[in-house]
Amino acid sequence: MYPNKSKYHNMDVKISKISENENELVDIRCHKETDSVREIAAFVKSRQGQLSGTLEGRQYGIAVSEIMYIESVDNKTFIYTAAKVYESKQRIYELEDILKPKHFLRISKASLVNLMKITSVKPAMGGRFSAVLSNGEEVIISRKYVSELKKTLRGEEI
Amino acid sequence: MSFKEHLKSVMSQFFVIATLINLATFILGEIFRPDERFGYDAFLSPLIYAAISLVPMLCMYSKKELTIKQHIFRELLQLIAIEVILIGFGLGAKCLAPENISLTASFALSILVIYVLVLVIAWLLDVKTARQLTSELKSFQSRVSNMSE
Repeated sequence: MYPNKSKYHNMDVKISKISENENELVDIRCHKETDSVREIAAFVKSRQGQLSGTLEGRQYGIAVSEIMYIESVDNKTFIYTAAKVYESKQRIYELEDILKPKHFLRISKASLVNLMKITSVKPAMGGRFSAVLSNGEEVIISRKYVSELKKTLRGEEI
Repeated sequence: MSFKEHLKSVMSQFFVIATLINLATFILGEIFRPDERFGYDAFLSPLIYAAISLVPMLCMYSKKELTIKQHIFRELLQLIAIEVILIGFGLGAKCLAPENISLTASFALSILVIYVLVLVIAWLLDVKTARQLTSELKSFQSRVSNMSE
């Protein structure tokens, strides 16, 4: 018997094959909805074109195509859509890995931008550049990341 | 920005500064000492002055991303440092004389003008890069959109 199994994070993983006409489902059976459980749920959603974010204490699913940019401030990760800002449990480097195939690119140490949401690029002070987004917001592109941006836009390997 | 990138960016300004110093020397020389003649060693002075003016730029490297206010403050500090170092060097090398205030003032003004011109040239190059990035971005977006349709 393992009465306190979840206390030690020993969650079993069970994968069952189902027939083609059934809907695929990830069912998490837990004693309590902890941060780890929420992280697992957020990861599963992110693999399907959705990220999880918290706004005013409520959890929301955010479509990746709606995201303008993602920023890390004081060890917290924020997801910016055209009108709302959500907090994410995931770290920016985790999101970078997940979102790279969805045309997101690191443009500074603390931010990732959706390349499909940039309307133009203009110079900023200190040899940096500024990406103007479709909602009028501007995010700074560090000089260090300009060559990666060029390579990505040209379809070259980074 | 890493130090290597900072070094690259500062070094790229060296030849711009040397060319502008050449121009300033011609203008100041025509005004203050039109009859003076020099030897071949005079060709070295724009390079020496340009190299000296790079020292404060190299010293004021910051690993952190600076805010706009911090950046403006750093530019002002660099300009003051360059003015002090170059005027000091000019006086030491006897190119400037303390009693000739108009020449020293013109020299200081030339440094300011060259400093501003270097910033303007760097800005114009960045404008060109930004336009190129915007155009490549549009092509990228249309390529992605076509693929997803």
